[in-house]
Amino acid sequence: MASKTKDRDLLDLQWYTALSDYITAIVWSPDGTWFAVSSAAGEVVQYAANTKTVTVLQVAQGKSIDALAVSGDGVFLAAGGQAGAVLVWRLDGHIPTQIVALGHSHIWIDRLQWNPHHPELAYGFGRHVRVWSATQQSEIAELNFRSSSVLDLAWHPKGDRLSVSGNQNIKTWWRHAWEDTPVVQQLGGASEAIAWSPDGQYLASGNNDRSVMVWQDGNPFPWQMRGFPGKVRQLAWSDPRRSISTPLLASICGEGVVVWTKDRDPSIGWNAQVLDFHQRSVRAIAFQPQSLQLASVADDGWLCLWRKANRLTQLFEGAPTGFSCLAWQPSGKTLAAGGGQGEVLLWTQTTTGQGFG
Amino acid sequence: MTVTTERKTVPVTVLTGYLGSGKTTLLNRILTDEHGQKIAVIMNEFGAVGIDNQLVIDVDEEIFEMNNGCICCTVRGDLIRIISNLMKRRDKFDHLIIETTGLADPAPVIQTFFVDDEVRTQVRLDAVITVVDARHIWQHWGAEEAIEQIAFADVILLNKIDLVTEVELETLEQRIRGMNAIAKVFRTRNAQIETAMILGMNAFDLNNALQIDPDFLNETAHEHDETVGSLALIEAGELDGDKLNAWIGELLRDRGPDIFRMKGILNLAGEDCRFVFQGVHMLFDGCQDRPWKSDESRTNELVFIGRNLEQMNLADSFRACLVAQNAQV
Repeated sequence: MASKTKDRDLLDLQWYTALSDYITAIVWSPDGTWFAVSSAAGEVVQYAANTKTVTVLQVAQGKSIDALAVSGDGVFLAAGGQAGAVLVWRLDGHIPTQIVALGHSHIWIDRLQWNPHHPELAYGFGRHVRVWSATQQSEIAELNFRSSSVLDLAWHPKGDRLSVSGNQNIKTWWRHAWEDTPVVQQLGGASEAIAWSPDGQYLASGNNDRSVMVWQDGNPFPWQMRGFPGKVRQLAWSDPRRSISTPLLASICGEGVVVWTKDRDPSIGWNAQVLDFHQRSVRAIAFQPQSLQLASVADDGWLCLWRKANRLTQLFEGAPTGFSCLAWQPSGKTLAAGGGQGEVLLWTQTTTGQGFG
Repeated sequence: MTVTTERKTVPVTVLTGYLGSGKTTLLNRILTDEHGQKIAVIMNEFGAVGIDNQLVIDVDEEIFEMNNGCICCTVRGDLIRIISNLMKRRDKFDHLIIETTGLADPAPVIQTFFVDDEVRTQVRLDAVITVVDARHIWQHWGAEEAIEQIAFADVILLNKIDLVTEVELETLEQRIRGMNAIAKVFRTRNAQIETAMILGMNAFDLNNALQIDPDFLNETAHEHDETVGSLALIEAGELDGDKLNAWIGELLRDRGPDIFRMKGILNLAGEDCRFVFQGVHMLFDGCQDRPWKSDESRTNELVFIGRNLEQMNLADSFRACLVAQNAQV
């Protein structure tokens, strides 16, 4: 491996298991002691990070689970999918307990997220977003997005507002006044993915008209980044660092990963760097917490680690038909990735000087 | 480097037809037929279809614009989402059928398979099948959707033929031919047709030979009482590549919304191979095909289906792209 790389940053394959179909989501608990995995066969499985003790929350159903989310306090796990139901488990007791199954019709649920500071779950339900409170055990808001089905949603890091994206616009509702008219941000196309930067300063949108737009909080005029060869499917912000004033924004489009850095000169805007390696569609990207290291996985069966989001330093295989998703443990020490045939793999930081010879 | 096995794209058939045309009967037939294929169906109207072992998904039609209202840049957001979710499953299906509502505009459905880069890597458009109620279509000629469904089709089922006379049927078929000269037309009762005849058409495969209905070409006078029609150009001679590019570019830019579909085989100057192309509205796709055979006459053949084609002066402007006779060596 490259000599410049610090050994302590290298990852080693630690553990491997498999579910019965395509891994649709992996999520970590906030304290990093467990993670949960879902599959296109409908399985939901919880694993203890140290012992790898398995708790099956739902067995294969034939209908996929497409989204998982853990509440900010780590007490609740929510899952949604093709069956149109949202399932919520309480995980702070000895045995996980399913506390609710919000049943719906045939509407496929593939977007859900907990408020980072309150046990309130927002999920896309056709053209609406519903907000369900675990404290009150009931729905506390129904937001009508109107313009189209909800394509993505994101809570502001402070938890005080919820942004929802779809065709032609992004709408943001304030939590203290759900019934108020939302703030609308217009787009030329449909927003496939939105993300608030961890410092809450920027909202980014990846669009089907081959563009990325970024709004600075409070400024109605966005930056527009064009030149993508296809639609922009996912975005990821780096954690704030002392060395840079603005977090980095990574985006995926086709086989490419593009990392955007805000120039010091406001008239220049954002500079792009293309991370070129993957041969097939990139499926997911994520910055290592408290770091600028970026991980990417793709249909080509490679997991790549990009040091400072620019230099390829490590490569892993393990999903012959392609990787589907990934998630860093909040400490950044372990990386989990899922594959197209149900593979679940964990890589952990090697101790100094070991591992590579 | 890992060598990943080449993944095959799943063929998609788009099934259209005006209300009551027999579309659902045809779908039921395809699903129950013993063809051994695993079929998934995406529907916009939840009908009485419920077949074991086949996956049926109901979605609401959603049109997404990608470029400020340009009709050529509209796609179906609902299909994009469902297809990308469906393609994750290990027990993938062999064929996908999309049944549109009777009032659906076929263009955004077709464009979805060419414009969306992710959809394109997973599925490919096989053919557009339109079911026409031979008895009641007369009442629907005023409806734009009914006309466009015929104009965009690769296969047309003239259904319920038992309810009309042979003379009526002849007249109807002529009229449909005038609108769409490239579709295969089958006459059916109760939508009875062998599945193998309509699935696996590869109608959007560029290397699939262009077939203009000979009756359309042989007719001496076409009746053009419709605004929607077909126009075929058959010209010997070599084409100047630059002039051709400029001509097609301008045509699609200015007339794209009125050109529903086009297909063609071209003889480019200095090339030993045929050049084949097709288009849907402003979307254009072309590539080099097989070499011309020695005993084959190098003829340019183009077919346009669209609205007000007469006014586009296509024949003259196309001829202007030919290499001038005296310039040929």
